[in-house]
Amino acid sequence: MQKRFALLAAGLGLATALAAQTYKLPAYEKFVLPSGLTVYLMEHHEVPMISVSMVFDGGAVHDPEGKSGLAAATAEALRFGAGARSKAQLDEELDFTGASLVTFAGKESAGLRASFAAKDQALVFGILKDLLIAPQFDATELTNYLARTRDELGQAKESPRSVIASYWNAFVYAGHPYAKPTGGTPEGVGAITRADVAAFYTARYRAGSSAIAIVGDFKLADMKRQVTEWLGGWKTPKPEKATYSAPALSFEGARVLLVDKPDARETTFYIGGKGGVNFTSPDYVSLSVINTVLGGRFTSWLNDQLRVNSGLTYGARSQFATYRQGSTFQISTFTKVSSTEAAIDLALVVLDSLHRVGIDETTLKSAQNYVKGDFPTNYETASQLSALLTSFFELGYNEAFINSFQQQVDGLTVARCRELVAKYIPRDKLQFVLIGKAEAIGDLAKKYGTVTQKPIAESGF
Amino acid sequence: MRTLLFLVVLSTGGLLAWGQTRAEDVKSFTLSNGMKFLVVEDHSIPNANLYLFWRVGSRNERPGITGISHFFEHMMFNGAKKYGPKEFDRVMEANGGSNNAYTTADVTVYTDWFQSGALETIFDLEADRIANLAIDPSMVESERGVVLSERSTGLENSNFRTLFEQVQAAAYTAHPYHWPVIGYESDIKAWTQADLEAYHRTYYAPNNGLAVVVGDVTLAQVEALARKYIEPIPAQPAPEPVRTVEPEQFGERRITVYKDIYSPNLAMAWHVPATRHPDFYALDLLSSLLTGGESARLTKGLVYDQQVATSVFAFGDQNFDPGLFTVYAVASSTLPNSETPVTPQLLEAAIDSLLADIRQNGVTERELQKVKNQKLIEFYRSVEDINGRANALGTYELFFGDYRKLYDAPSLYQQVTVDDIRRVAATYLVPTNRTVGYLLPTPTTQN
Repeated sequence: MQKRFALLAAGLGLATALAAQTYKLPAYEKFVLPSGLTVYLMEHHEVPMISVSMVFDGGAVHDPEGKSGLAAATAEALRFGAGARSKAQLDEELDFTGASLVTFAGKESAGLRASFAAKDQALVFGILKDLLIAPQFDATELTNYLARTRDELGQAKESPRSVIASYWNAFVYAGHPYAKPTGGTPEGVGAITRADVAAFYTARYRAGSSAIAIVGDFKLADMKRQVTEWLGGWKTPKPEKATYSAPALSFEGARVLLVDKPDARETTFYIGGKGGVNFTSPDYVSLSVINTVLGGRFTSWLNDQLRVNSGLTYGARSQFATYRQGSTFQISTFTKVSSTEAAIDLALVVLDSLHRVGIDETTLKSAQNYVKGDFPTNYETASQLSALLTSFFELGYNEAFINSFQQQVDGLTVARCRELVAKYIPRDKLQFVLIGKAEAIGDLAKKYGTVTQKPIAESGF
Repeated sequence: MRTLLFLVVLSTGGLLAWGQTRAEDVKSFTLSNGMKFLVVEDHSIPNANLYLFWRVGSRNERPGITGISHFFEHMMFNGAKKYGPKEFDRVMEANGGSNNAYTTADVTVYTDWFQSGALETIFDLEADRIANLAIDPSMVESERGVVLSERSTGLENSNFRTLFEQVQAAAYTAHPYHWPVIGYESDIKAWTQADLEAYHRTYYAPNNGLAVVVGDVTLAQVEALARKYIEPIPAQPAPEPVRTVEPEQFGERRITVYKDIYSPNLAMAWHVPATRHPDFYALDLLSSLLTGGESARLTKGLVYDQQVATSVFAFGDQNFDPGLFTVYAVASSTLPNSETPVTPQLLEAAIDSLLADIRQNGVTERELQKVKNQKLIEFYRSVEDINGRANALGTYELFFGDYRKLYDAPSLYQQVTVDDIRRVAATYLVPTNRTVGYLLPTPTTQN
């Protein structure tokens, strides 16, 4: 009996392993309303819920000089009363149904995410329509928000992990819109007025540069009719194309930004430079496999050396931070103050060995399997799928990326890895951001490049 | 928590059963060595998981070996008989799988995620480390450094962790919930090989574990592999029960911690019964009434109306023994349109006043219905993916005694009345039963 079971299990195992290679994105429909709003619809019946994702061309890159934080404030202010409802009424009605609805601004885009029971769709879409068409931007709510945001920006500096990415962007993208912090600065936030918010909304929230994805427990034909009825009335002038050039990201030499946090018991650091490619590049998937080897999983070389072999840190990783027109590569980790040099040096040795020795066949195969195995779990829920569909719109790719992903992963060879590493992962003139106790690591910082030091208490990044 | 790369959130209670998820979908069998399996077949994506719940956490420790449960969460990845050091992760990842683990005061949970074709490899890996963990002394030494770094980075980056550790220590004077799950630095540096070997033998016995598998597998597959790989591992004598019962608290306790921070943080914690107590449901709804959504009592009152806090949250953990109901708030720097700083005393008084209102006047029927509605949505979100489902089933089996209780929860939440809410608030959320903690800017930098 036991043997028969085992044989059966082995047979099924093989079948599912093969099936896994052919993962495809479920069917969806895309169309454009007369107003210019792009709509994506996908049925998904796991639970009786609906998820909505929206994207607007209203990210922090559009923050005007002196008003850092305006994009974030505008996204948030969509909820400060809309149509006939005050903020408190909106909150109460959404909370009563258990719905979540959040608005936010990222670096290049702003967005909205909602998740609610399918039976409450008329209420939530009614509110959504009001947010888009008739936001009140209540002045008192805005004032309160701005005061709270200034406090939150101060509180964020308590945790090096929460702010190191903002320091990194300010350092490597200096002078370019990508240097602008998504959350703003206390001074910028302090200068924002209701008129600024209203003007930003009018300029950047336009149907022709926005998209909505609705995924969940509905019939596609019904939802198509409904969404046209609900959102067809959001009419705006034609969008103005954003204009900013690709960042140079060229550095004359190695540089260190040392952010002094006098009470730090650890040093938290990034090491990197220009690296990676944008989402539409044919090399994007291959580079994510390469990064998996270097710092994208538990057995990655960085984690293996800095955590498993040496116990220097709880975790070390690497990643590409990719925007539409620019991309950086960085190693990130932390260690106690006294082992700062050991940890940085070891990270550099690992990076160097990627260039010098490269990736072997066995390791590549393992990373390919890992990346493929993990992939379908990113597209399991309605929320994940709706966010994916708006990212198609935002970043200019489509389901071909999903449907050919496993094939692209398998196509990567050891030889191609070598070429891609040389081209897209920095090796010299490295850039460092260290957040830690300058009194203890100030001299050490000079070993790695030209040092700029600033206190963490200094406003902004 | 083993790594920062993933976050596994222990789902809160309140799981209901409407529509697509039913008790009949959960299959179960128990091996002759006492290990129980729960299996749910779901073929929506070609992936599956294996969640292993062990009935061991920091409540099973004693001074001298605090943190050892969490240390095992690390050591279980550091080599066994068939798969040596590093091999567990290497083999799993090479087969397209990944994993994580977390430790609480009550349980240690290991999570394997994989494409379903790798199921047998996963069983082989798990059986090896359950039956024959190596506990290599050199791995022990380097792992001490990793855990010290985990402890340190938690304190460096989280005010909550810094303060709550001290609040727990004051709230519990006798029961092992007194010490933090990660343990004391001195114990992390000092436990011995004998401590580790005894701990593994006792607590990683199959009769002390529970396995949950959800995803693109069949019951027959799982049962065959469980009988092949796990059933040969012998059972062990049941672990000693935790005997100490925390004595009743008869007066408020207060603690202060200093750190170089921007504005004061405040925690209030009251003793409440263990998760299996019938008041669990009313207390869980009370925490939603306080901070579940923008319109909740404390969130609206403190953050939006009075603007004395930038954030506030209330929560109760799932516990085998009587636990804590906690309110945690971060103060705004100043009162609105004013230079007057928000002191922790002012914030505390604002919270007291809002809680007193509930103790005296209760909440409205509509408010209660609101949080019951939220529970249904929370349930759908938690079972929407295979990992949420595995975690919820295991959590119910352990903390409520039976995974089927998951499906009784709807009626138990629905039965809670506005009088129950007022009663639990008046019974438990009283000053004599609480510990108040302030996290304040260090005096030298206060100016």
